[in-house]
Amino acid sequence: MRPSTQLAPPLMEHRRWFSDPKWIIIILIVGFLLVFQVFPLLYLVFRAFFSTGTFSLDAFKRVYTYPLNWSALVNTLISATFSMIFGVLIAFPLAWLVGRTNLYGKKFFRTLFVATYMVPPYVGAMAWMRLLNPNVGSMNMFLMKVFHLSSSPFNIYSLGGLIWVLTGFYYPYAFITISRAMEKMDPSLEEASRISGANPLTTLRTITLPMMLPSIVAAALLVFIAAASAYGIPSIIGVPGQVHTVTTRIIDFVYIGSQEGLTDATTLAVFLMIIANVVLYLSTFTLGKKQYITVSGKSTRPNIVDLGKWRIPITALVIFFALIVVIIPFVTVALSSITVNLGEPVFSSGNMTLRYWERIFTRKSILNSSKNSLITAVMAATFGMVISCMMAYLLVRTKIKGRKIPDFMITVGSGTPSVVIALSLIMSMSGKFGINIYNTLTIMVIAYMIKYMMMGMRTVVSALSQISPSLEEASQISGASWLRSMKNVTLPLIAPALVAGWFLIFMPCFYELTMSTLLYSTNTKTLGYELYTYQTYHNQQTASALATAILFIVFGINWLLNKLTDGEFSI
Amino acid sequence: MKKMFVFLCVFMLLGSLAFAGGAAETPKGASDELGGKLLIYTSMYDDVIEAIDETLEDVFPTIDIEFFYGGTGTLQAKIAAEIAAGKLGCDMLMVADPSYALELKGMGVLEPIMINNAADLAFDYDKDGYWYPVRISNMVLAYNPGKFNKADLPNSFYDFAYDKSVAGMVSMSNPLTSGTALDTISALKDKYGYEYYTALGEQKVKIESGSVALTKLETGECKLIMILEESVLQKREMDKSKIEVIYPTDGTIVVPSPIMSINDQWSPNKNSKAAKAVTEWFLSDEGQENIVKAWMHSVSSKYPEAPYDAIPTKQILENTIPVDWENTVALREEMRTKFQEAVAKK
Repeated sequence: MRPSTQLAPPLMEHRRWFSDPKWIIIILIVGFLLVFQVFPLLYLVFRAFFSTGTFSLDAFKRVYTYPLNWSALVNTLISATFSMIFGVLIAFPLAWLVGRTNLYGKKFFRTLFVATYMVPPYVGAMAWMRLLNPNVGSMNMFLMKVFHLSSSPFNIYSLGGLIWVLTGFYYPYAFITISRAMEKMDPSLEEASRISGANPLTTLRTITLPMMLPSIVAAALLVFIAAASAYGIPSIIGVPGQVHTVTTRIIDFVYIGSQEGLTDATTLAVFLMIIANVVLYLSTFTLGKKQYITVSGKSTRPNIVDLGKWRIPITALVIFFALIVVIIPFVTVALSSITVNLGEPVFSSGNMTLRYWERIFTRKSILNSSKNSLITAVMAATFGMVISCMMAYLLVRTKIKGRKIPDFMITVGSGTPSVVIALSLIMSMSGKFGINIYNTLTIMVIAYMIKYMMMGMRTVVSALSQISPSLEEASQISGASWLRSMKNVTLPLIAPALVAGWFLIFMPCFYELTMSTLLYSTNTKTLGYELYTYQTYHNQQTASALATAILFIVFGINWLLNKLTDGEFSI
Repeated sequence: MKKMFVFLCVFMLLGSLAFAGGAAETPKGASDELGGKLLIYTSMYDDVIEAIDETLEDVFPTIDIEFFYGGTGTLQAKIAAEIAAGKLGCDMLMVADPSYALELKGMGVLEPIMINNAADLAFDYDKDGYWYPVRISNMVLAYNPGKFNKADLPNSFYDFAYDKSVAGMVSMSNPLTSGTALDTISALKDKYGYEYYTALGEQKVKIESGSVALTKLETGECKLIMILEESVLQKREMDKSKIEVIYPTDGTIVVPSPIMSINDQWSPNKNSKAAKAVTEWFLSDEGQENIVKAWMHSVSSKYPEAPYDAIPTKQILENTIPVDWENTVALREEMRTKFQEAVAKK
């Protein structure tokens, strides 16, 4: 833990606030967030009203009286709301089955479901486009044959299709959040319920579910924001079916290339921001407080529910789900990467090739972008974890006033749609106010941190809260310094969470698209942008190869870490 | 702590093995005359850039030439932002929209370069040397003979938008991001009026890039697409694809894409000497040979060959729909907005 060098000895000493390192840490974190998050966002709002220098609602009138924008607003709200509902409806039972029951192969399933979080969502969109397009989608064709239908049962280029793909790729956000809460939930209440004669289902309904409610709300929020601020999926699935969303409109406006276009983009972005903040406010302040009452700090292993005669049918159901939502799309992508003519079966003669795979390892631009992404994602994850650790210590181990301020700011940051963060940084960080980091990797790292730091922070907080301070106290009573007890007691105990948190920040940064689309420059192109460009501009097979390679690397790292930590760690 | 450090190291190692493998730069030898860096923004496809880049490395071993690609519209947005910030990111531009050359010349960011063989050019060029055409891209139609008959499909741009038998199964590029698509909708607006956009919207045309559209032809998801000839030719040669070009009966839209250099005041590397050499090379026989090899037509009247599987340039020029370049600059935003409105409607 980084703050260790500055932190004080454990004894409570009376001193002035400015000499207390805790305050200095808070001030540093708050300062960073004020400059790079709060100020740019406020400036964005300011710009929307003062685009011409004086106060004017012209831009608002222009943007919000335009029917196409209205339909985009409505589409965004509908698609994000339904993705949120379905996402949680899928994630909660899955998290429970994987975390708290004797489901067959639950470890495998856990990795598989979390893996979806590690895959660029727009790659999945391409797979679904191929599977469910109304004219020749292979899954549609298959269903028509099996059920003797006269027309395609599904059309992916529709609002329904958009919700389906958004759900399929954003429910892992909910799954991760809910699983984590379930793991640290105090099982004694459930035990009490069981002992009193309630069956597992009743226990689930009357004890587990209510206790999980704050986490479920937090998970729902994450899915909502992710779905509302996604660009890749709507641009691939929605736009061809004339289903526009706020993000696709914003990026269209930016691409029109005029000053007016930029103002319109800003004005539209303000809407997204307001929606996100309202949702965030509601969830944090109506339910957030409960979390600290229901979740105990004790680290006990939750009891495992025996599924009994349902074990096999439920496992079959989960397999079916995994097949449809994860495996088939991934396999489609992997097969595309070795197919020359996507209109012919991959195994027909002369249709198989490794040339796209060769490309991803030889193209200069791909290698450069990979390098950039590796650098930015490693930096964002590392700095993010440093801040996360400090914040976790402040939140869990201290009662210092004001520790909730940076916590709140980090939560707001992650709740702000990506496109809004990127736009606000462009406008405020290109030299106008003394800081010019536009067109650098730094601006990307900052944007990534603002957006994804919370995933890391929550992980560390939950790990730290499971560790009773008595262990640290015991170490210190035995004569170890604060630093030493941190190193020998606390750190080893939360190490798996640190690695997991690091990856939770690293992965989405590694293939980030929406912010990179706006922030990239000549020599700061990222893998996400590159992949998207290949997918939509140059060559889809190359994009598929790249996506499959990312998938292999993710699974490889996961497997390796699992081996090295004797199963203690998995993403 | 140690354990964690080891994990991170393992990961870093893995990452660098997988990705950074080929990223090492080759050291540049001492240059006698030409040298330095040269950054070119271009809308050419990646495969084309890769091929040309390799040749350029052989021809100009002392210049560090780097390409940055993006759709013309994407690059225009980028350049607009860069101009607002007071500094351009590129030394040269090879985008697909000739009207943009007129605009940039007007803005005073271009460097005049006089070449010796300008008289050989078969197309208009700037007499002051601010821009030259360097490659010909042709907007055409394409279909998949493996799935449909040419006789059953529309063979003209007009029918592409008005023939209901292909409704919902047609695709074209986005004029917001592609320069040739912008020139195309400009030419078609001049010929058929803004109603043409409405017709496209009613036809439920899908707006996506050429490579996505080609895949949709292969799979049969689309019957007919509006696309650049070069993309089809490339697919025919590289992938042995059966997809065929239809040269529209109402005329092909011919887009002579310009090459331009940014003047020292605006360019990042202030390397106008190298820019001149590269411009001359592209317009030389050797340069044009590379253009033709990259499935585009040559701009030189002395270069008679057509790209792989294409009909001769002359034959294409016999039946074209002209583009009014000045008008395209003036009406760019209006056309983009009108087009958006028409095709984005449900």
